[in-house]
Amino acid sequence: MPQPRVSDADLLIAAARLADLPMTPERAAQLVPAMNGVLQLLDALNQGALQETAPAFAFRAGWEAPA
Amino acid sequence: MKDALNLSLREVAAALRDRQISPVELTRLSLEQIAADEPRLNAYVCLTADRAMAAAGQAEREINSGQYRGELHGVPVAVKDLYDIAGLPTTCSSRVRHDHQAGENAACVDLLEQAGAVIVGKTHTHEFAYGISTPTTGNPWKSTHIPGGSSGGSGASVAARGCFMALGSDTGGSIRIPAALCGIVGLKPTYGRVSRYGVASLSWSLDHAGPLTRTVADAAVSLAALAGHDPRDPGSMNMPAGDYLAELEQGVKGLRIGIPRNYFFDHLEPGVERHVREAIGRLQSEGATIAEVEIPMAEQIMAVEFGLCMPEASAYHHETLRTRAGLYGEDVRSFLEAGSLIPAVDYIAALRVRSRMQAAWRRMFEGLDAVVAPTVPAVATRRDQPAIEWADGTVEPVTPAFVRLSAPANVTGLPSVAVPCGFSESGLPTSFQIIGHPFQEARILRIARAYERMTDWTTRVPR
Repeated sequence: MPQPRVSDADLLIAAARLADLPMTPERAAQLVPAMNGVLQLLDALNQGALQETAPAFAFRAGWEAPA
Repeated sequence: MKDALNLSLREVAAALRDRQISPVELTRLSLEQIAADEPRLNAYVCLTADRAMAAAGQAEREINSGQYRGELHGVPVAVKDLYDIAGLPTTCSSRVRHDHQAGENAACVDLLEQAGAVIVGKTHTHEFAYGISTPTTGNPWKSTHIPGGSSGGSGASVAARGCFMALGSDTGGSIRIPAALCGIVGLKPTYGRVSRYGVASLSWSLDHAGPLTRTVADAAVSLAALAGHDPRDPGSMNMPAGDYLAELEQGVKGLRIGIPRNYFFDHLEPGVERHVREAIGRLQSEGATIAEVEIPMAEQIMAVEFGLCMPEASAYHHETLRTRAGLYGEDVRSFLEAGSLIPAVDYIAALRVRSRMQAAWRRMFEGLDAVVAPTVPAVATRRDQPAIEWADGTVEPVTPAFVRLSAPANVTGLPSVAVPCGFSESGLPTSFQIIGHPFQEARILRIARAYERMTDWTTRVPR
């Protein structure tokens, strides 16, 4: 079993910089528990082998004109 | 005449058609009822009284001259303040939108106006539909409690007899949760059935538009007015709308209904479970066949819901989160910041798991007409209550607790209708939902109606 992902304030500040999202150290520290909860939840997405499953994008290639 | 507000939408429509009630008088009563309740409920961002009276006057002239448009003609309705109405701000109940002004109507608003409905105002939402409590608004059954959300103002106003129908939107349960907590009917149609054009998005791949009403037939009439293809909405399906009234009174004899043995009955208030199982018993007594089913991939439902919703919401708010972050409420800002930091591969994984889940639910539905389950695991919580403590000592924050049972129909895109099924000892409503095959709204409404006509929950008034 892979280890659950966890974040800390430094990691969030670095990730926020990559996302071009202003993030003070205080704000990052405040966000850590929520982010850890989200990451723990999303770990469930890797429970089963997805093999060749394609994502269900909504995009359609037709050129029907908007009304 | 004041009793007119206690009629269902269909009943008042018949009275309007037969000129027993005037649209102008009905709209005046509706606006007076809303004004009387607002100090307690605060369900509305704004009232549109002048426009409503003008629309009512036009409806009256048309009906009097024999130009009756149908069952929404002259009927007071409300619109969640996520839907654009040309010339009005769409605030999304947020300070971020303090300077917004809509240039044109949302598709659903156009359809309501074409049907002759009278829009009396715009209802409060949890900020940008990103939450389930709608903190601005009180529950009409007990104003110290939440009305649910995010379409909380719509739920509160319909239940309180301020209007006969209100538009909501549902990304993780935001039509069905307030319907459940306010004791009314909430219909989330199939993904792509009703256009979302002109509705502020929370999550493009999970958002649904639909009505909140007091009765099942009112929901059917409303869906008939709203359903249809709209190429301006990339999720809209190009297929004809159904006849949502045709089988409404046919009962459940011969229908096969699945009851989940896992997931939906985990961590429920005992009173909620009792009422839902009683409702199932009533459907069985009317001739439905009940079959236990196993909900597939249950442990991944919430991961898909949040794995899609959070990054999409953060993408929608990309600019304002960087220029107006201080104007968001703390809960929504935290959600948006966290969603901005979710890796893209997690988002793609959520999309891929969703595809597998859709296929697994299709297999589960083989031989079934519908699945019946609780809409929410608890009655309305107090407005200051952050979490629910379950009998086994588990503490669950209110947002995931209320989203947990409604999210499956968002993730799968299946239609689901929330139906009142009783009141707790504290006087708060309970509810069950009926989930159906894609685009078979008529079938779930038929099952809902079969239950509704055995009960009187929809006639109870929160006073």
